[in-house]
Amino acid sequence: MANQYPKLGRQPPQLRHTAMVAAAGWLSAVGACERPADPTQRITISGSAVGAEADVLKRQLKRFMLGHPHVRVELLQTPDAAEARHQLYVQWLNAGVGEPDILQLDVIWIAEFAAAGWLHPLDGFAPDTNDYFPAALRADRWNGRLFALPWFVDVGMIYWRTDLLDRAPASLDDLMEMADQARGAPGVYYGLVWQAARYEGLMCVFLEVLHAFGGRIVDADGSVAIDSREAVAALTFMRDAIHTRGVVPDASLTWQEEQVRFAFQNGQAAMMRNWPYAYGLMQDPAQSRVAGKFSVMPIPAGPGGTSAAALGGSHLAINAHSPDPQAAYKLLKYLVAPQQMLERARGVGQFPSRQSLYEHPELAEALAIPPAQARQIINHAVPRPVTPVYAELSELVQVAVHRVLTRQAEPAVALRRAADEVRSLLVRTGLSGPQTEDDPAASNPRGSE
Amino acid sequence: MPKQRDSGIEAADARLAWCCIAPALLVIVAIALVPLAWAAWASLHRNDLRMPWLGQSFVGLGNYAEAAGDARFRESLAHTGLFTAVSVAMELVLGLCLALGLHRAARLRGVIRMAVLLPWAIPTVAVALVWRFMFEDGYGVISAIWSPSSGGWLVGASAAWVPLILSDAWKTTPFVALLLLAGLQTIDDGQYEAARIDGAGRARQLLHVTLPALVPTIVVALIFRTLDAFRVFDLIYVLTGGGPGTSTETVALYTFNSLFGRLRFGYGSALSVIVFVVTFGLALLYIRALDPQRRGGDR
Amino acid sequence: MTRWLPRLVTVVVLAVWAFPLYWAVLSSLTPEARLFESPSLWPRAVTLEHYQTLFAERDFWTPIRNSLIVASATTLSSVIIGALCAYAIARLHFRFKGAVLGLILAVSMFPQISIVSPLFLLLRRLYLLNTYAGLVLPYLSFALPLTVWLLVAYFRQLPADLEQAAMIDGAGRLTILRRVIAPLAVPGLAAAAIVTFIFCWNEFLFALSFTVGPRRQTVPVAVALFRGQYRVPWGQILAASVLATAPVAALILVGQRWIIRGLTAGALKG
Repeated sequence: MANQYPKLGRQPPQLRHTAMVAAAGWLSAVGACERPADPTQRITISGSAVGAEADVLKRQLKRFMLGHPHVRVELLQTPDAAEARHQLYVQWLNAGVGEPDILQLDVIWIAEFAAAGWLHPLDGFAPDTNDYFPAALRADRWNGRLFALPWFVDVGMIYWRTDLLDRAPASLDDLMEMADQARGAPGVYYGLVWQAARYEGLMCVFLEVLHAFGGRIVDADGSVAIDSREAVAALTFMRDAIHTRGVVPDASLTWQEEQVRFAFQNGQAAMMRNWPYAYGLMQDPAQSRVAGKFSVMPIPAGPGGTSAAALGGSHLAINAHSPDPQAAYKLLKYLVAPQQMLERARGVGQFPSRQSLYEHPELAEALAIPPAQARQIINHAVPRPVTPVYAELSELVQVAVHRVLTRQAEPAVALRRAADEVRSLLVRTGLSGPQTEDDPAASNPRGSE
Repeated sequence: MPKQRDSGIEAADARLAWCCIAPALLVIVAIALVPLAWAAWASLHRNDLRMPWLGQSFVGLGNYAEAAGDARFRESLAHTGLFTAVSVAMELVLGLCLALGLHRAARLRGVIRMAVLLPWAIPTVAVALVWRFMFEDGYGVISAIWSPSSGGWLVGASAAWVPLILSDAWKTTPFVALLLLAGLQTIDDGQYEAARIDGAGRARQLLHVTLPALVPTIVVALIFRTLDAFRVFDLIYVLTGGGPGTSTETVALYTFNSLFGRLRFGYGSALSVIVFVVTFGLALLYIRALDPQRRGGDR
Repeated sequence: MTRWLPRLVTVVVLAVWAFPLYWAVLSSLTPEARLFESPSLWPRAVTLEHYQTLFAERDFWTPIRNSLIVASATTLSSVIIGALCAYAIARLHFRFKGAVLGLILAVSMFPQISIVSPLFLLLRRLYLLNTYAGLVLPYLSFALPLTVWLLVAYFRQLPADLEQAAMIDGAGRLTILRRVIAPLAVPGLAAAAIVTFIFCWNEFLFALSFTVGPRRQTVPVAVALFRGQYRVPWGQILAASVLATAPVAALILVGQRWIIRGLTAGALKG
């Protein structure tokens, strides 16, 4: 009846061996489920993949792959809405995952991503930046380094009905007068329509009116100037246009680009402020009642100000964690080459970001808008403040502007509060103010620390 | 257990035991305890992943102070409390009725068993999507029967709670019923006999025999459900996303938004710790309440 | 009258409870055009187009594969490690047993949100984000306590005489484990494996936080993120939800008795 227990001073060797083998087997089994190493190089690009843009992009990627047999390029789907795409990028880049190698970025995201260390600087590749519009390039620089290249530009402009108005308005007041008078023509309910929902589009509209009154978001000396006299005047003007003069409908307070376009396209408005994408769409007589009956111009200057067009558009950048930035840059360089830009202009109607292309005869055929007009408007382009906290800054201003436009607050009070909040935001995040919007042709491109 | 026990055998037993539990303990410590401690440590620092130039300075209880003053956080606590109270109460009552009803069936038939287990086993994400679809404005089947005011169920700040609570109750009442049923089945028939002899009707039997005997099981069910409801994330994220606005945002969702939406890992860690402390506190409260009942229980 | 009333009530309750499932399956088989009309209880038209689109256009195989791999690996590891631990707790004597069990129970009550951020930072540093191991390891944080808890309850109610007899016969602990316990443990292990697999398959928060992009997403995440599109493709979403549910439904069909016994035993005795 002797109880024999195995000596348990140490685990018996079999057990230990088994355990090790099991652990090794488990780890390699799980690891083997990962994708095996690819012999060909794989670059991923994420960008707008809907409709005409997707077609053009896929064509270009295919051509690139033909020219580079050992490279495979994949297009990653991203949501269409800007905010959803932004959120997805933040998640991807924060995870430090190596894909996508190339990102299509809205112009206002570049400083944010660059400052967070998520983008690979392009200075090492020594790209030739002379041909790009300077205003667009300014958004690409952070802390003295270049992080993105402009792909296409978007500018805000005024569309006006040539059948209702005999000339383009010469000033902002002129525009209001003419819009007011044009109301009352059959089917025309609104004088002017613009985007005034509480979103980034409102910031663009406000920026343009602000400059028309001589105001700035950031002054020449780098201080926040949202609460200046000119800014208050500009905001008052906007509010009065809606509520006092009734030239702009208060429905616009919930409108974004598409609703504004529909109003103008259906002939209900004498003028609209929108982006270039609408031009081609409205030239189609099957959809549009105003085909052939409109023209474009930059937002005219107001008292004491200048004509300004909010600068939008997309840029291309490289992921800081990309496993092969060299290969990614090759693709990037290809996509921003003049030929590809022309093809994009032809297929999608987007404005190229290279100045020289506007002399090119092919652009005239490619674009719905005459290149000379487009060029003129782009020359008035004003970038939004280049700062990593642009999203928060913009939201503070949007809230203030929207509250004034919905008559929940007075312009001076709301703008003062927004300005204070922006200042404390900059202090809190250790950023000295963003660059002024004025063209610093000679100033150094240092944003802040 | 063997009648003879010399210390050598005991020691060998203990050594074997520790060898057996070592891997599990290692995993738990590494994957659960260390991260929790790290979260507590991180909550004392400021760490905004979008602004690496700010560094990770030590701010002591600064994040907690901010949380105390954060209206959105307080609201999310209120929302979570509301959700927990209402859904747990509902599930308990419905579960009890269901358990009493199932108790009659002498044996759980296959169909009923499946019917009870299926809602519990379905991914919460699927439940949320289906219920969202049913409550959508215009084509949802529930909206077709009745819709509050203009935009529909999901657009109203209060109305949006209805699909949330109903879907949670739908999913977990069967589980509660199962627990209570198991408790019911341990009640000695003799007690009912005694009560019947004393002249008690059905209702009195229920009150005086069934419920008192069920109390321990009810408390266990309460513990599980309360803790689960307090931590709810999947359902809210998929059904309403915390919306409209932030009117259905719960504590877990707000913490997630702070961490992965705004990338404020210091502040988000503080919120995580607060969630943990509250959860733990609730659990302790319940266990304290449970102990006196189980004086003779085995452990 | 009192005889069929309870039965009628039961049937009605079951029917009402089953309605959302019926509705989901029905809608997933309804053509897209009809889906946004006013709802009807009976099928107006039936189509498989949503299921086809899921696999043809949306590559739904990838999330399914990811979920299978992650859930299986987690379940396997969890059952092996957990069974050892549970046996020790249930049958062996050692100090601090209560503390260990208490610790494991406590960890099972951890809110996942409380450990998601440090796990994220840790996985990021180890380059394990968006990988299978990067999901299996965090999953063990809830799978292991669950498995241990279920198996402790199960082992405790196994009759001890067989072990005692074997020990009197002179068999060592390990031999007992292999020859006596293992065969008896199969139902319990199966139940624990099924329940653990179900929890892993359904898990959402960790999968959402630790995967990035469609390559490694699991089924719940893939289904939930369908929504970020121009127009919500409800037909496909519901079809995907049905597919997400099918495996777990099959599992509980197979193991109902075990599951119920395991869950309730654990609850009553834990």
